[in-house]
Amino acid sequence: MRAAFPETAGRLDRDGVELGFEVYGDGPATILLLPTWTIIHTRFWKMQIPYLSRHFRVVTYDGPGNGRSERVLDPTRYTPASYAEDALAVLDAAHVRSAVVVGLSKGAQYGTMLATKAPERVDGLVMIGPSLPIAPPVPERASIDANFYEPYPADVSGWGKYNLAYWHDHYPDFVEFFFTGCFSEPHSTKPIEDSVGWALETTPSVLEAEAVDPEPEPDWMALLRNLRCPTMVIHGTGDRISAYERGRLAAEFSNGTLLTMEGSGHIPNVRDPVKVNLAIYEFVRTVTT
Amino acid sequence: MRALEATRSDFVHRAGVEIFYEVYENTGPTLLLIPPSPITHSRIYKAQVPFLARHYRVVTLDGRGTGKSGRPTGTANHVRAENVADILAVLDATDTDHAILVAHCHANWWAVEFTVAHPDRVDGLVAISPGVPYLGRPQQHWIDVAPTWDQHLDDPKGWELFNREVITTDLERWLRFFFESQLVEPHSTKQYEDMVSWGLETSGEILADSEEAQEIDPPGRDRFRSHVEALEKPVLVIHGDSDVCQHFEKGLGLAEATSGEVHVMAGSGHLVAGRDPVKVNQLIKQFVDETTGTNLKSQVWSRGLGRPRKALYISSPIGLGHARRDLAIAQELKKLEPDLTIEWLAQSPVTNVLEAAGETIHPASEWLASESGHMTSEASGHDLHCFQALRRMDEILLANFMIFQEVVEEGQYDLVLGDEAWEVDHYWHENPELKRGSHVWMTDFVGFLPMPEGGEHEAYLTADYNAEMIEHIARFPRIRDKAIFVGNPDDIYPETFGPDLPKIRDWTEEHFSFSGYITGFTPPDPGETAAIRDELGFEPDEKVCVVTVGGSGVGRDLLEKVIASFPVAKEQTPELRMIAIAGPRIDPESLPRHPGLEIHGYVDRLYRHLSVCDLAVVQGGLTTTMELTAARRPFLYFPLRNHFEQNFHVRHRLDQYRAGTYMDFSATDAESLAAAIVKNVGVEVDYRPVETDGAARAARMISELI
Repeated sequence: MRAAFPETAGRLDRDGVELGFEVYGDGPATILLLPTWTIIHTRFWKMQIPYLSRHFRVVTYDGPGNGRSERVLDPTRYTPASYAEDALAVLDAAHVRSAVVVGLSKGAQYGTMLATKAPERVDGLVMIGPSLPIAPPVPERASIDANFYEPYPADVSGWGKYNLAYWHDHYPDFVEFFFTGCFSEPHSTKPIEDSVGWALETTPSVLEAEAVDPEPEPDWMALLRNLRCPTMVIHGTGDRISAYERGRLAAEFSNGTLLTMEGSGHIPNVRDPVKVNLAIYEFVRTVTT
Repeated sequence: MRALEATRSDFVHRAGVEIFYEVYENTGPTLLLIPPSPITHSRIYKAQVPFLARHYRVVTLDGRGTGKSGRPTGTANHVRAENVADILAVLDATDTDHAILVAHCHANWWAVEFTVAHPDRVDGLVAISPGVPYLGRPQQHWIDVAPTWDQHLDDPKGWELFNREVITTDLERWLRFFFESQLVEPHSTKQYEDMVSWGLETSGEILADSEEAQEIDPPGRDRFRSHVEALEKPVLVIHGDSDVCQHFEKGLGLAEATSGEVHVMAGSGHLVAGRDPVKVNQLIKQFVDETTGTNLKSQVWSRGLGRPRKALYISSPIGLGHARRDLAIAQELKKLEPDLTIEWLAQSPVTNVLEAAGETIHPASEWLASESGHMTSEASGHDLHCFQALRRMDEILLANFMIFQEVVEEGQYDLVLGDEAWEVDHYWHENPELKRGSHVWMTDFVGFLPMPEGGEHEAYLTADYNAEMIEHIARFPRIRDKAIFVGNPDDIYPETFGPDLPKIRDWTEEHFSFSGYITGFTPPDPGETAAIRDELGFEPDEKVCVVTVGGSGVGRDLLEKVIASFPVAKEQTPELRMIAIAGPRIDPESLPRHPGLEIHGYVDRLYRHLSVCDLAVVQGGLTTTMELTAARRPFLYFPLRNHFEQNFHVRHRLDQYRAGTYMDFSATDAESLAAAIVKNVGVEVDYRPVETDGAARAARMISELI
């Protein structure tokens, strides 16, 4: 059973794609919890929603490709700019004028884009384990871009599995590999099981559509520097997916605060939820009063 | 001694009155602390200043009529407009463009009027127990006695003492009644003494003039309210719900009118800044940080299982005494727990010993206000009233607790070891939600005892302090995870904690574990004794008397008395040689010289001298006398006058070991001292042996917690 249920669970059509959104609680300030890489859906916020919605209104939605949203295969629906449009449509549908926006991993890209396009709608931005290409990737990932469309060798291992053909052939194994890397902390069986389960709700074809970049990479450093809202970055030093340095720089460029989670992996909001919840609460309280 | 001295202080002369101010320079926002004068002055913030000044620039002022400010009389000099103009003058004189105002009681009225008049100079207001009109109702007793203010009353009682004639003829009577009424919290003796003594710095005439003047030209109700509501400044109200001066509803009213925050101190009275300083300090800091946006830019949190095991050791700095035993305990603990890191929060002179042993001193140690400096400042001649000195150390203990608390909140310690770390034990019991890590309390005596010449009042005070401690432990047994008595049950002084309080021994046996005594060293065996004597240049036919008076300046009188006795003793015992150690605070050149008498400022490893001497002459401190007991040396000890620990606890313990010869300083002259030296030098002793496993026993008790 869930610990908290939404006040409203709705659907909206954003330019031909159906998205599912939920609204919890009714506090004076609103938090928008963004989707992340569509390999998983909104449930990765399950440790945040019950707590935060006791203090604030919390809006969540599934991005295209997973959860209660459409499994669209059009790559233009997976660009950061498109995610920002989705988020605005959700804010409108939930009648939210402005919110503190929280994004995990790729969600930091969507949040940065949203705050750039519609600064009046963003009271503050929290980036957890931001996956922003503003510093080199973790060394193990260095060659994935070059090999992504190539055939994979028979003895493929590690990040070699980040490969389109491998996804189509051995999706569950890739998912298992990926989330084992996300949760680098010992004793993480349940978070890994959860994430694998959510990942199996989408398909390799959706991930393929998401992986295509129909637009050039934005100048993230410039976008971060131009953000007008307060920001907070939370980043684990044990993050094997997105290098800690990326978080450190995201805080520096956006002139935000940095919470370093010593020994935490890529998804601390699931694995170390108490500290993350308290930090988000404190941030929201500070920027909205 | 104060916990922190101002960077600079000066007067601003305004309309013929000198207004005294102090500046504690720092970067960051400025806080102006405004006292409700003339009944009190800037010292009412003594528990706030050292803490706030570590984080912000702080300016304080004494209001007109008290403290170091001028003493104008006449109502015209005490209207609110004058107080408001004084605030402006102090901000100008200190080059403060704008500040957060912190005010108490009726000073909040000035702060509000100042903010209305000079909004660009005010960043926000912390209103403590505010008394601002038209916002919440006044206490009924003020309304009741207003009509008799000007009248002659034959037998005024209670609030009727709020009367011009009473105040102008017997100010102290009014002050005593008023502050006793305000301090609704039990165990407030020190705050009461402080408030009354500051109150007596003004005159009844000035106080009465001010009381009348403040009510002159009251603002119109609606206009005033609309001004307050239009302030648009961040406001934090801190108000005790049992405030007998300013009704609690006034705090709520001010917060409501200004859309400010209110923090209710449940069960607190009017004087929260002095009586519950930890909470008030933290609230002010939180407010200032939020108001000025000076939040921490970067913080680190470590996953629980990834944290290295760490202990913070707080070694009592009052003498050097505890350093070696604490070091011995730490070394035994590391044997049991090799992966435990120990960091020390300690002050000079303890840090010298720790550094020499290669221990890690936490950098925040340098912020600590000097407890040993305070004790030295409290001593005079061979006299140290250590109970009163401890009471007067309240602001230093609080200042150091605030530093300690920041250290434990950042340091993720598993264990806090406090060897007579009074501030940690006291304020964690007062603020139990602040406890971090397991807490071990260690002490070598339990129970404050009154000195006979302090009379009934001192007995009342010691009993009150003991009662508070007993209540702390009964109410929050979770604050001390382990309490270790450095000694044995027989060492406990056979007295009660006070009238209607338990026997010290019964209570201590119930609440403490006993480690036995901890010397921190192994006494030399006869072979080693001969070798050390040889190494130190003690001739076989010499009888060496070592005189030491500790590291503070307290011992000068004793040193002089012993030196004066030397020629007399030498005449009777020609083989007598005397080595006197003056310590770092007494200039050896300033002492008289005699043939056969050597005076040193400092000797390396003094305990080696003491452990092989033929006689020692010392003060009554526990560490040195017990070192001599363990080394089985004859010694004469002179407890400091009025020092309850040395006169009762230490003397009783030495009696358990049949050790040492007690000497009364005031009853001893050069001749009788010489006789005692002659009689005791080189005698065989029959002391009970001192245990040598105390540190290991203490370490085992501690290691159970980690």
